[in-house]
Amino acid sequence: MNSLISRYRAWLLVPCLALTSLSLAGCWDRTEVNDLALVTAAGIDRAGENAVELTVQVFVPRAGGGSQLGQPGSAAGDERSVVRSAKGKTIAEAMAKLQERFPRRIFWGHAEVFIIGEKVARTGIREYVDFFLRFSQPREHADIFVCKGEAKKVLELIPPLERHQAEVLRELSESKVSLHVTLKDLAEMLVGDAGDAALPYLTTLPPPVGKGQQHTIAYIAGTAVFRDDRMIGTLNQQKTRGLMWLRDEIKFSVVTLSPEEADGFISFYLLRSRTKWLPRIEGDRWSMTVEITTEDDVVENTTSLDLLDPEVTRALEAELEREIVRRIELTLKQVQQEMKVDIVGFAEIFHRRYPREWRKVQDRWDEKFPEVEVRVEVDAKILRPGVSGSMITRPKDERRNR
Amino acid sequence: MPYNGKITPVQMAFLLHPTIVATALLLVPAMTERHAGRDMWLSPLWALMAGFATLLTAWALHKRFPDDTPIEYSERLVGKTAGKIIGVLFIFFYWHGSGSLLREYGEFVSGTFLMETPTEVIMGGMLIIAAYAVRGGIEVLGRCAQIMVPVVVVLFMTLILLVSRNLDPYKLLPMLEFGILPSLKGSIVPQSWFSEIIAAAFLLPSLTDRSKGLRWGVITLLFVAVILSLTNLTVLMLFGELAGRLVYPVMSAARYIEIADFLEHLEAIVMAIWVFGTFIKIVVFYFLLVQCTARVIGLSDWRPIVLPVGLLILISGIWTAPNLQQLVHALGTSIVFELLLIQLGIPLLLLAVALIRGKKGAPATAK
Amino acid sequence: MRNWIRRLSGQSPGKPQPSGTPLPSEMRSDPRMRTPLSAALSENENILRSVYADCSDAVFRRFAVGGQTSALLLYIEGLTNVEEIDRCVLAPLMLQTDQPPSGPPDQLANRQIPVSGTKPVADIAGVVEEVSIGNPVLLIDGQTGGMAFSLPKWEKRNLEEPKAEPTIRGSREGFLETLGDNMALIRRRIRSPRLKMRSMEIGRYSMTRVAVAYIDGLADPKLVDEVMRRLQKIDIDGILESGYVEELIEDHPWSPFPQVMSTERPDTAAAGLLEGRVAMLVDGTPFALVVPASLFTVLQSAEDYYQRFWISTAIRWLRYFFFVISLLLPSAYVAILTYHQEMLPTTLLLSVAISREEVPFPALVEALLMEITFEALREAGVRLPKQVGTAVSIVGALVIGEAAVSAGLVSAPMVMVVSLTGIASFTIPRYHAGFAFRLLRFPIILLAGTLGLLGIMLGIIAIVVHMCTIRSFGVPYLTPLSPARGSMLKDVLVRAPWWMLNTRPQPVGQLNPHRQSDNQRPGPDTGGEQR
Repeated sequence: MNSLISRYRAWLLVPCLALTSLSLAGCWDRTEVNDLALVTAAGIDRAGENAVELTVQVFVPRAGGGSQLGQPGSAAGDERSVVRSAKGKTIAEAMAKLQERFPRRIFWGHAEVFIIGEKVARTGIREYVDFFLRFSQPREHADIFVCKGEAKKVLELIPPLERHQAEVLRELSESKVSLHVTLKDLAEMLVGDAGDAALPYLTTLPPPVGKGQQHTIAYIAGTAVFRDDRMIGTLNQQKTRGLMWLRDEIKFSVVTLSPEEADGFISFYLLRSRTKWLPRIEGDRWSMTVEITTEDDVVENTTSLDLLDPEVTRALEAELEREIVRRIELTLKQVQQEMKVDIVGFAEIFHRRYPREWRKVQDRWDEKFPEVEVRVEVDAKILRPGVSGSMITRPKDERRNR
Repeated sequence: MPYNGKITPVQMAFLLHPTIVATALLLVPAMTERHAGRDMWLSPLWALMAGFATLLTAWALHKRFPDDTPIEYSERLVGKTAGKIIGVLFIFFYWHGSGSLLREYGEFVSGTFLMETPTEVIMGGMLIIAAYAVRGGIEVLGRCAQIMVPVVVVLFMTLILLVSRNLDPYKLLPMLEFGILPSLKGSIVPQSWFSEIIAAAFLLPSLTDRSKGLRWGVITLLFVAVILSLTNLTVLMLFGELAGRLVYPVMSAARYIEIADFLEHLEAIVMAIWVFGTFIKIVVFYFLLVQCTARVIGLSDWRPIVLPVGLLILISGIWTAPNLQQLVHALGTSIVFELLLIQLGIPLLLLAVALIRGKKGAPATAK
Repeated sequence: MRNWIRRLSGQSPGKPQPSGTPLPSEMRSDPRMRTPLSAALSENENILRSVYADCSDAVFRRFAVGGQTSALLLYIEGLTNVEEIDRCVLAPLMLQTDQPPSGPPDQLANRQIPVSGTKPVADIAGVVEEVSIGNPVLLIDGQTGGMAFSLPKWEKRNLEEPKAEPTIRGSREGFLETLGDNMALIRRRIRSPRLKMRSMEIGRYSMTRVAVAYIDGLADPKLVDEVMRRLQKIDIDGILESGYVEELIEDHPWSPFPQVMSTERPDTAAAGLLEGRVAMLVDGTPFALVVPASLFTVLQSAEDYYQRFWISTAIRWLRYFFFVISLLLPSAYVAILTYHQEMLPTTLLLSVAISREEVPFPALVEALLMEITFEALREAGVRLPKQVGTAVSIVGALVIGEAAVSAGLVSAPMVMVVSLTGIASFTIPRYHAGFAFRLLRFPIILLAGTLGLLGIMLGIIAIVVHMCTIRSFGVPYLTPLSPARGSMLKDVLVRAPWWMLNTRPQPVGQLNPHRQSDNQRPGPDTGGEQR
């Protein structure tokens, strides 16, 4: 009998649990997807002296052109997202105010793009980064951009190809054409040895003629450079490439050069590249050798050179190396000599190799960095000359002449 | 007097492993980083020393009193009254231990997943299931561990594998920048965790094959050290110096995973690792608490006190700290001493008494 | 439950019977039953007529042996082969003999009745028992014993393919409703005389015959004794299906999990016997019970052993995967959609958000509604006649699948989730076992709706703890995973080829662990190209 009751008691728990579950199912953290305002991108702008303006782009869950019941290609197709903004002393306050303007709960779990307006960037971004890291909803791998002008303007654009602006930016930064910085990367840069940071810099593509001002996208046009957490300038796209070579982040690049021995241009398509840093300290002389090994394909040849000729290839390789070195040095000149910010990450490299010496200069790295002698060595290999040797379309007689 | 039922040495290892690792996985990396910095991955290896010291003490005592748990042999070694006091110490220790454990679990879940759900509900739900398992006796615990721990380990390895493409080994450099001291300092917290292997002293008498007890204890410790070290390495290679500033670095690591636009936000894995692991840990502590209580009071059947003890654990979980900061602070400071004192200090004391008295003149440890 | 029955009947079950098949208690309590057959035929006839009063199907045939001695043939109409009685019993006794019978009835039978199966009966109970299974009983005036002839015959089904466990490759024979035939089906597969079949009768009124089959030397005698003990403890008015027996002999009667494997396939039962398990055959049902069972016996199909092992291994993994899906998919959907929206890939979440926009119900209610509807459709499909069944599935597919979605009552992803779950639950080879998991799905959905993923995990832990708690006839339910038995995992995680499966599963086959000789791996004798 006793055992009967004890067994019975254990199983009484099941209906009890189920009942309490039912009664509690309405409470606490449960939120339906239709009660959420899904933020896909957010922007931060300056609003007056001590205030920030937070702009969010919220996805509108309405079946677009391809719905089975609705009229295909209806006019509503344009309104895929809503952009609203609010001001506040801190982001959290702006966020609270923003919530007042939304019938649904703002949900940051899918906010994958953060855009910082240039004005804010110039006054310092540390507090915002801290907020987004502390507030657990946004993702650590959200992409961060700085934009020319107001972030709000960028978010209000209606991209013709993608569903919304966030997707455009995400795809752009995924493509690795330019710098790709996540929230985590930015935080790491800020707490890193140098404390300087670089973020992709957005500008708006001019809209096609005849379309409204908003029917366009923003694209990555360069790099915003930060000393500490304040933006001090930009690099153009070509110098950004140089920076990416230096940081071993280059994934996509087309280098075009005009060979000395022939007219026309040859374009090289980067297959893979690897950058090595060899730091060296001799007394007070700090130097850094950057060794780049790269493998390329030829994608375009408008010259009369026969690329199947090993001699020609060797000559071209040398020219390609010179070209890459030139580009990198261009970047270095601006970053190291003019801006004097270590966005390349030399501080970490020296720290790793020479911890003791590093500790001595740690506090005056800003002064030391411009003094570091940088030598760039490139080893380029042309793997394949495309599928044809010399230019096929060149008239026959010209070929015979060669 | 073993518990009703026997477990295999492997099952004991499966019970002990999460008893150390489960909570260490989430909280300890950040705590270690604070002292050890870039050398945090070394700290678990140093901490292994405390683990071995505890295990060998437990083993030496077990050799002398093969059928007894610490509760019984402390009475036999230091006399009835002093023995009872030690028993009561163990009771309070496991009470506080399981309470703060439950609280850590509750804090983690409500801090990262269910922010608005009351912590009491989250802890209570877990405790009900734990009570059901504890009532099943040690065999059920052993079987549960044998099912869940391999799953947890596989999940953990998956996590590391998935995050591995974002890892940068250069972030480990420079190694031992400030010498060996920071990593030793950083090992203090893990040391206290490793001393939880003392639970083996309670489990050894109910092994099917006692001769293999030590071997599997050592394997457990090594495996724990490997897992913890691997965790610290991963966290470090992913976040670098940021690691110390995150409360749950492993959690953040999982959030960082993004593969092929589809496998992303895999917090669920961390949650599974954490919930399954802590479950085993809670169950072990809970079971030992019930056993100690029953033995000190002298009950013939321990099953009736399972539910009341569970209620006490819940209360202790609610009272143990007012908020997460205090809990983490306590875990890094006073609890360290509590853990080391009870789990390593008392057994060492008992062993010393045994050696002096030369009771049962059995040859000393297996060492 | 058993205690309760015992108290009601005032009987103490489990008392061993002196000999022969143990009689159900109801018969023992009737004083008439214990009466021995007397020499006076009329006396016997009176008692029997009172026992069979108002039984219009009982036939009392009075006739004279050799024209002098009166005799009585008793049988039940429809259970007995009347032509054979006429030819083999009545004809020789009435027409070919002129002397009165002398000596005990078995001598008469030996001399004059050409029937293979005969059995002497000594008391009324014996007569009733024989008659009830279709054997006519002959009583002759002046003799103290009767004779039963094994001439049963009743309408029965032909051998058919097992409906509940069909296979592509493998025997097409399924058990029948007749115990004798079922015993024969097993005997045809295991012809060794070490295959033992102990039988008994259970059920006060149904007097159902139950046979306990095992292989002497393979099955642990303690297990066999335990099975016999548990069966003998049963005291119930009737056993109409093996399900009655199953519920009365389980270790953990409150558990939702089947702790006894029921099968319709003689080959599965035989495989169980060869592993050292014990099978129970119940008259009147085509389902045999095999004990001890474990979770994995439930997740395995007979065909696993007939196909190539690669295929079987792959299918097993598929089955395990879908087993988890069937248990967790709807709850995971609910949990992620209402608690952890950030865990879905962005584009997927956006698509789901679009499809859920018009749905009036919370995801939890939606899931419960759809799951219950699905179960109702399934149940209707099983119960209805075949022709109507197709109608039901058409209505189900159209109404639920199309109309509900296009009316915006249910979101399309939910329909997919529910149908996937449904399909997944049918991959569990034993239909009856699938129920347990389908049932458990609902509490987990509720938990998911309350605590999100944490709820699901708590649900999983609770199930695992429960499965760790239960045993089937002393064998832990999760063997060989936990307690782990390494050598057995090759028949659980994978299906190793037969030449590697040298040992019987433990601990069931402990008594005789080796089922075949080692080193049987086949291979070509010589290398090189043949002409």
